[in-house]
Amino acid sequence: MAKILIPTALRQFTEQSDSVDVTGATVREALDQLTVRYPNIKKNLFNDQGKLRSFVNVYVNDEDIRYLDKDGTKLTGSETISIVPSVAGGATAVADTAPALSNEEVARYSRHLILPEVGMEGQTKLKRASVVMIGAGGLGAPLGLYLAAAGVGRIGIVDFDVVDASNLQRQVIHGTSDIGRKKLDSAGDRMRDINPNIRVDKFDAGLTSENALEILRDYDIVVDGTDNFATRYLVNDACAILKKPNVYGSIFRFEGQASVFTYQDGPCYRCLYPEPPPPGLVPSCAEGGVLGILPGIIGVIQATEAAKIILGIGTPLKGRLLLYDALEMRFRELKLRRNPECPVCGDHPTITKLIDYQEFCGMPPMNAEPAPTGDAIDAIELKRKLDRGDNFVLIDVREPHEYQIARIPGARLIPLGELPKHLRELDLNGEYVMQCKSGARSQRAVDLLKQNGFKNVVNMTGGILAWSDKVDPSVPKY
Amino acid sequence: MIEIATEPWEMMVRHAELTYPNECCGAMLGRLNGGSKLVTEAIPMENAYAGEQAARYELRPEDLLEADHQARARGLDLIGIFHSHPDCDAYFSTTDLKNSCPWYSFVVLSIQNGKFNHANSFLPDVDQTAAEREELKWPKF
Repeated sequence: MAKILIPTALRQFTEQSDSVDVTGATVREALDQLTVRYPNIKKNLFNDQGKLRSFVNVYVNDEDIRYLDKDGTKLTGSETISIVPSVAGGATAVADTAPALSNEEVARYSRHLILPEVGMEGQTKLKRASVVMIGAGGLGAPLGLYLAAAGVGRIGIVDFDVVDASNLQRQVIHGTSDIGRKKLDSAGDRMRDINPNIRVDKFDAGLTSENALEILRDYDIVVDGTDNFATRYLVNDACAILKKPNVYGSIFRFEGQASVFTYQDGPCYRCLYPEPPPPGLVPSCAEGGVLGILPGIIGVIQATEAAKIILGIGTPLKGRLLLYDALEMRFRELKLRRNPECPVCGDHPTITKLIDYQEFCGMPPMNAEPAPTGDAIDAIELKRKLDRGDNFVLIDVREPHEYQIARIPGARLIPLGELPKHLRELDLNGEYVMQCKSGARSQRAVDLLKQNGFKNVVNMTGGILAWSDKVDPSVPKY
Repeated sequence: MIEIATEPWEMMVRHAELTYPNECCGAMLGRLNGGSKLVTEAIPMENAYAGEQAARYELRPEDLLEADHQARARGLDLIGIFHSHPDCDAYFSTTDLKNSCPWYSFVVLSIQNGKFNHANSFLPDVDQTAAEREELKWPKF
């Protein structure tokens, strides 16, 4: 025979018995026996529809039947059944203080309001919520559009960039007529056009160790749409220190990642990648390219996670790294665990304030002196050398598909990755000028040649972009 | 009427003040004596609400189950739940009512600027539509 333990308050209905023995093959049958024997207890356990009341939890031994077979959970006859209430509360009910939705908002959000998981309560949560987006670029574009449309009441944007023609292939929040405008203004206008009920806070700055805590402190959720490791670690550490959820996304070429870090007891970005890759190993989107549609899907995943956290529904993407491959059209998932040894979110954190992330990522400080002249020439000087017919070789270290877009006349193509095996074809005493798109890869080529004993090697600063700006505007910029 | 003895009362106030500015919660054990209740023991519990806890609390059912076991083992009854309202009066809010249970006394402690200010006890109804004030006696110093 199974035994039902009766909570104190219900013993008035069981003639003061603190436990009642029942037979019955399932929990439902056992509870039915109880209510047949003591009819007055029924109203306390079941509602008018005969369903267990929302505050009633039933445990078989130490297991909640919600995680077994609910009220169909089988009994063998030796179990102890406990009736345990669920209790919660709080000083302010959302509905007590929240601004009511206007008729215009009720009409606007009607497809949300008819979802029981959202409803008036959820829409009000969205309205009271605040989210800050780091970057109004590829990921920031879909994020800004959807968070605004969904009715997130206050959205912060941190960005210092202006809209460039090369952004428009993916940053759909900006239009052709916005070229040259601040991304903050362009994105803000578009979001307020979609939904005038929201507030947009603009931070015209790069996120730095000096301003990050101050800016992020004021928001419920941080969404990371950055394109570089230094800022990504900065956002991660700031969120760990402030204990704010960090909705992460990143994109490269045809692949993307997303996760939710520093949320509840979940892991952080450093639990996944304790250290950044060496500078230059992972190219940026500007160097490596990106499918314009890719940030759309990753940014919308981030927006979905932000909305779920606000609404408190579903299963957040915490402790899981979602990997997306557009070419294979495949999603994969890796399990992540919080690392107890993590320097920022572990049990004994060693990083308790923000550090210098440029240095941490092995990059020269933002305001570094330009490389000494003699190791570098600019586009004008290169043009003069070519016109004079100096005896030197111009090597273009970009990829063949880039060479097809635009080239400097007379340049010899040796992609950076193939340079090592072509070194023997080059003359140790010859004069070389290395050139790429913007001057970064060609600097690495200069370093490589110098390490291999070449004396007379210089970098062309600004790459073919500078060539187009300063020498030959007919060369297209990409 | 519900009366709280000195020892559990000090425990409840200390738990509430230490948890400030967040809400605290816990269970009260004691005896029923006709219509009146005497709390002889308080069990502080962890606020399990997943989110900002300054104005929300949640009790784990497992913790309540454990408290019920403890009460039985010592011949006591689980008779009430307590929680705090930081910088807010000790009223029974809509959130409190919608997540309540009619079997217990709900004692709410108002904590103002980190210090105990006043308290009230409530008896919610089975449909979670209203809560009746219950006379509450605590030791005055």
